[in-house]
Amino acid sequence: MENLLTKLLRYKWLTMLFIAMISVYFISEMKENTRMETDLDEYMPKDHPAFVYSDEAESWFNIKDGIVVAVENKSGIYNTATLDTLKQLTKRLQKFEEIDKDDVKSLYNADNIVGSDGSLDVKRFYKRVPKAEEELQELRKSVRENEMVYGRFISTNEQVAVIIAEIGDDVFSQEFYNNILKTVKQSETDDITIHVAGRPIVEGEMALLAPADMKKMVPIVILVILIVLFITLRSIKSTFITLGVVFLSTVWAFGLMASVGIPIYAVSTMIPVMLIAIGVADGIHLYSHLQTYMAHNPGVSKKEAVSEMLNHMWKPVVMTSITTAVGFISLLTSEVYPVKYFGIFTAFGVMAAMFFSLIFLPAGIMIFGLPKVKKANIDNDMEGHSHSKLANSSAAWIVKNKYVSILATVVIVAISIVGMQKIWINSSFLDKFEKDSDIVQTDKFINENFGGTSTLNLILDANGKKDVFKNPEVLKLVDRMQQDVDAQLEVVGNKFSLTDYIKRMNKVMNSDNEAFNTIPNSNEMIAQYLLLYEMSGDPENLTKVADYDYAKLNITFQLKKDDSKSINAALDIINSYEDDFETLDISMNYAGSGYKGLVFTDLILEGQIKSLIMSILIIIILLSLMFRNLVVGLISAVPIILTALISFGIMGFLNIPLSTTTALLSSIAIGIGIDYAVHFLEQYRTNAANYNDKYKAAQLTMAHSGKAIIFNAIVVIAGFMVLLFSVFPPNRELGALVSLNMFTSFAGTLTIMLVLLYIGNIFIKKNNNKNN
Amino acid sequence: MKTIKLIAIALLTIIGLSANAQLTGEQIVEKAYNRETGNDQTSTLTMTLTNASGQNRVRTIQQYTKDFGDNEKSIMFFQAPADVKNTSFMNWSYDTDQADDQWIYLPALKRVKRISSDSKSDYFMGSDFTYDDLGDRKLNADIHKLLREETINSKACYVVESISKDEEYMYSKTITWIDKETFIGVKKEFYDEDEELLKILTIKKVETISGFQIITNSEMKNIQKNHSTSMVLTNVKVNTGIPASNFSERMMTRGI
Repeated sequence: MENLLTKLLRYKWLTMLFIAMISVYFISEMKENTRMETDLDEYMPKDHPAFVYSDEAESWFNIKDGIVVAVENKSGIYNTATLDTLKQLTKRLQKFEEIDKDDVKSLYNADNIVGSDGSLDVKRFYKRVPKAEEELQELRKSVRENEMVYGRFISTNEQVAVIIAEIGDDVFSQEFYNNILKTVKQSETDDITIHVAGRPIVEGEMALLAPADMKKMVPIVILVILIVLFITLRSIKSTFITLGVVFLSTVWAFGLMASVGIPIYAVSTMIPVMLIAIGVADGIHLYSHLQTYMAHNPGVSKKEAVSEMLNHMWKPVVMTSITTAVGFISLLTSEVYPVKYFGIFTAFGVMAAMFFSLIFLPAGIMIFGLPKVKKANIDNDMEGHSHSKLANSSAAWIVKNKYVSILATVVIVAISIVGMQKIWINSSFLDKFEKDSDIVQTDKFINENFGGTSTLNLILDANGKKDVFKNPEVLKLVDRMQQDVDAQLEVVGNKFSLTDYIKRMNKVMNSDNEAFNTIPNSNEMIAQYLLLYEMSGDPENLTKVADYDYAKLNITFQLKKDDSKSINAALDIINSYEDDFETLDISMNYAGSGYKGLVFTDLILEGQIKSLIMSILIIIILLSLMFRNLVVGLISAVPIILTALISFGIMGFLNIPLSTTTALLSSIAIGIGIDYAVHFLEQYRTNAANYNDKYKAAQLTMAHSGKAIIFNAIVVIAGFMVLLFSVFPPNRELGALVSLNMFTSFAGTLTIMLVLLYIGNIFIKKNNNKNN
Repeated sequence: MKTIKLIAIALLTIIGLSANAQLTGEQIVEKAYNRETGNDQTSTLTMTLTNASGQNRVRTIQQYTKDFGDNEKSIMFFQAPADVKNTSFMNWSYDTDQADDQWIYLPALKRVKRISSDSKSDYFMGSDFTYDDLGDRKLNADIHKLLREETINSKACYVVESISKDEEYMYSKTITWIDKETFIGVKKEFYDEDEELLKILTIKKVETISGFQIITNSEMKNIQKNHSTSMVLTNVKVNTGIPASNFSERMMTRGI
């Protein structure tokens, strides 16, 4: 291997040309084929039963997420101007190409089922905007009397009216969003304020904000890394060549993605995070070795120095890269495709970074020359075996006070386990925004005045048996469950189903007598009411609550929050009715984006935990084989396990919920952690083999690998700390957690791992122990 | 002055002559509208609604219709499905602008109820037909224009475009293929407010019963919703002399 690498040094220009050509090819592929995937439905595994059912149910009942447009007038909505705005906005939204006309609902086009004795009427609340005071009062009265709109389209304080425009999953774009906002804002006056909320807006805003924020932050991150890297390497040439490794491996990873036609998902933005960490690590370790060698051998030739560097370092670089890549490959077990792709392409990027570190970096040195290095002052007393006083003393301290490390580790692990208990999963989108952001404030406003901006759809399925949902016994149970959920949970603001239509009709057909606001007792009565509604109302409305054969029912619960805790609380109460429905041969299923998000998050985490355990096992096996020693494999896993534990523990204490991004960070933590551990181990082994003196080995390794690890950690931590100034909370969490993981990995490697190597007499031949 | 008058007369004559040779859109629709279909009709209507996922709702209705000159009355009784059997529905429509009078009798409620609907744009019993589509639409509500002549299903047809005079009407326009010989509309396209094709009506079968041409099988397909309604008439009898007293609330509860 080292021969091959050394030979390659002769063909430095050819190597560069080769790399440049492939990179140009990948860049052109990226230009042509790169596509961002923002439709969250594309992230979900299509063949998972929960999603299959939900997707089907969505098409049966035309379940879509709604944009909520709230028209607010502090002096009340029952005046000509406000009602006219409501009408015009409803019509304008209907005109949008992206919105189906029938999917826009407001007081203006809602059905008003009314009746006095002898007649039933399904009519509009208003068509022409009422002008006279009596007309306005009449309207107010009819709204108040109709539970199907009061509190649903009009707030109970009568100051806000909402228009709900449901849109498909795939229509949201920046342009559409801007057009909606523009349309809406045009209708604002001194008295009328208009707010826009709803899941599509939140999802859309997030899909736009996250990359936009990253676009702003990444150049600063790179700049900071560049500066800190320069300070540590003290060479412009070295800094740029190292960043070249990062840049090229990123280009290759994304280039390959583009050329095989895989789009960029939100999680794909984490690929460069890993490549920055690993690329910088390789560069620093290589340069650190080169500089140390040059300091000890002044006047050495370019070729000689680079050969020595490769000779000494190719092994740890290859070992770290392979273990890291294999760790990422374990993400293939995930059921979520974007996560699988993240695993594959990060692994590829890591291997590319290895290739560049061993080929591009040496060729770069050959072309641009060696960095300048101060001659090591060998004569000075360094109080130890290495050339660095600090390394000697810290290694000595760590080894001497080994129980401090062990005790600290035990305490930290214990605390982390406590913290982990507090960890919670959150699939909420809204929680990703600042508490005082417009989007959160608007959502809060609408939730205060209406049922809720988030929906949960319960699908009752009689498994193909027709007309089950015309049966009074069944509908009464449905009604009881709805009331129960509504009454028990603050967070459930509203519910809507077939029973609401039937109760309303029963009341209206019985002279508006409140005693008849119930489900009638006869099957025929229900069937005839439904026929009556079809004959006088818009039968399209019924298709949203029941299927054609009355063998399936869609019950919509409106929630005031979209976080997992709230959804789960509602699910718990609903599920307590499962047995009752079971005896009626009716099964319960859920649908809608909120529910899918919940299942999806669970799925990601389950996969994440599985692959986390698997990758740790694989790494232990791999390193045991590489070092031909099971104990070494186990010791090498200590820093990564620590890193993962602390990461989860701190998330628990800081109330950072597990989400797609934060969960994937644990994979990155392992990737980084193993990199540190292997570099350190390999160095320690060489030194132990050379001197068979573990004290000396510890000090030498500390001076060499230890220093490189610290520098690496400082560079990456400094870079990712920049993200703490991001305006998008998830990006801040990312910055904080990456920094934290880097710190734990480095601290774990240099303390507890060293202590364990030391105590275990690893790599030391038994009979020759000098220091114990 | 005289010359102008003469020219005017001459022009009018020419227009009149050519109109005789070639009917205007207005005249074609009028002929179709006034086509003789008898004074009363009895039939069994089988209405099949099919939704986008291919599920069906089949309803069998016994219906009676009688033309009273300036108004038309119809009464219908549900035979199937069983849970709505004997539900009956009565409709009186008027040649004037007066809104239809409608009643429904729900046997489970044992009472006849008036129902009123805002407009003739309402769909008939959850089908894809509005009351207007079923023939309630007044001739003069639209401006009719002959577009071209065309042969479909080996029938020579006039193709007439009708644009509503009321801008708020649910159809921006309709295009009707009218058989040149019988003046039966054999196909009709309905365009929505945004001038996009909404529905297509196809006449599938016309039978001669007691000397009258009666449409016995037609299908309305909503293109945008992928929903369709088929109406098949059987046991059709024309001019049997249904007594006027049959169209009453009492008959609705009792059945004919």
